[in-house]
Amino acid sequence: MNKTSIISFFILIVFLGIGSSWVINKANESNSIPPPVMKKIPDFNLMNYDGKPFSRDSLLNKISVIDFIFTSCPGPCPIMSKNMKELYNQYKLHPDLQFISISVDPDYDNLEVLNAYADANGVTDKRWKFLRGKMIDIKNLSTNGFLFMSENLPAGHSVKFVLLDSNANIRQYYDGTDKASISILRKHLNIFLKNMNLKS
Amino acid sequence: MEKYFRFSTLSIVTTYLLIFFGGLVRVSGAGMGCPDWPKCFGRWIPPTNINQVPEIYIEKFNIVLAWVEYINRLFGAVVGLVILLSCFFAYLYFKKNKHIYIPILMALILTIIEGWLGSMLVHTVLDPITITLHLLLALIIIGLIIYSSIRAYIVIKGNFELNSNYPQRIKWLIFSLITCMVIEIIIGTEIRGALDMSRKDNPLIKGAILLNMLGSFKYAHTILGILLISITYYLRKILINLELSCSRLMLFSVNSMFVIFFLQILSGEFLVFFDVKPVIQLFHMWFSSLLIGLGVVQYTCFKISKI
Repeated sequence: MNKTSIISFFILIVFLGIGSSWVINKANESNSIPPPVMKKIPDFNLMNYDGKPFSRDSLLNKISVIDFIFTSCPGPCPIMSKNMKELYNQYKLHPDLQFISISVDPDYDNLEVLNAYADANGVTDKRWKFLRGKMIDIKNLSTNGFLFMSENLPAGHSVKFVLLDSNANIRQYYDGTDKASISILRKHLNIFLKNMNLKS
Repeated sequence: MEKYFRFSTLSIVTTYLLIFFGGLVRVSGAGMGCPDWPKCFGRWIPPTNINQVPEIYIEKFNIVLAWVEYINRLFGAVVGLVILLSCFFAYLYFKKNKHIYIPILMALILTIIEGWLGSMLVHTVLDPITITLHLLLALIIIGLIIYSSIRAYIVIKGNFELNSNYPQRIKWLIFSLITCMVIEIIIGTEIRGALDMSRKDNPLIKGAILLNMLGSFKYAHTILGILLISITYYLRKILINLELSCSRLMLFSVNSMFVIFFLQILSGEFLVFFDVKPVIQLFHMWFSSLLIGLGVVQYTCFKISKI
């Protein structure tokens, strides 16, 4: 092993160091860009499971993750709620982030049922809300607010999680049943929460 | 015959670069840069703008991460070809030499399995155990190629260990070094994995703070590290006392090992006491793969001194 090979090894190390730092920086930069605004949510009037009204104003100044479910749903909802629960637990230190599950079966999902559902999902504070309202309002919100296909509610509801910013704008849709998609949601949540921390 | 030596050396260099690049994918968080496998967003050439991304993948698109992951896959395919060519030359010239042909053939088979494990990483959304297996398999592959390559070298250029006379206990020292290094690497990947988990549960908290929250196995990593550098020091002392009856390659590998262990302790403590900097993490992992390679060099030197 002569001197030149040792020197070229060190040059290689320097080269790799600079190259990898550049890639890591680029990756970090690309990870700190929040998804762009897609559309504004129209006003709506629903009711939280504690009996208090919940409208578009309740979305302001908070980051929200929203999904549509119904408590007696056998299919994707249990998986969606399990994933939502995981997020709810992971972000317990962030009161600026709220999770909202809107029932698409308000006939069955009365306040009592929703309360039991919240309990079953280990909800202990106000960060996770369960909403109900008139079927026509919910259908309208799902179709015109979130651009979901809503002909066959309750069974035909979307499995998406929707990320809303602090001005009630839709930022991105995620597959609420897909681990990889939810890890992207987590990444985006971190960007918004970090920006919120910087402001306050 | 020289062709085989040249290609196997090229395999070693490119495999090490690939291990580095794999680590880069990990620290830059590009592991899921392409949500599908082997294609990227359903394309053989990754998308360059969002309009090329199919609807179902739209939220997952990040152009930087997609290309980092895809270049890693392409480079992996190139390395696979280089190993395949090495295997071809080994078949041409060293078919009858089981110390050369068998290891490179095994390396080729394991490389194919390694590629399959890479696809499993994407399908399992970066399952931690699969990540560790992916690294360990790469280390086995590099070890096999190094062994085969040195065995080919002595056939071509003559045995440089003819005058060496190593005491038997050296063999056990080298064995314990390699075993402890593998254990050390597994503990290291565990720490890394636990750090990732903890980061998920505590978003926006600094890495160094999370590292302090981890269990006692992070101390095991330090203790074993100190034990490893001590064994290397002891090994070096024995070899220096042998003076002429030790080959230059053996001495070089032990010296390099000592230096790299020192760098490992420095970089490891930096991660604990200052910040979990991705570049340092990357080199910490990569140096450990160099150490395994040096361990295999020492083992091979010892083995051929007994021919």
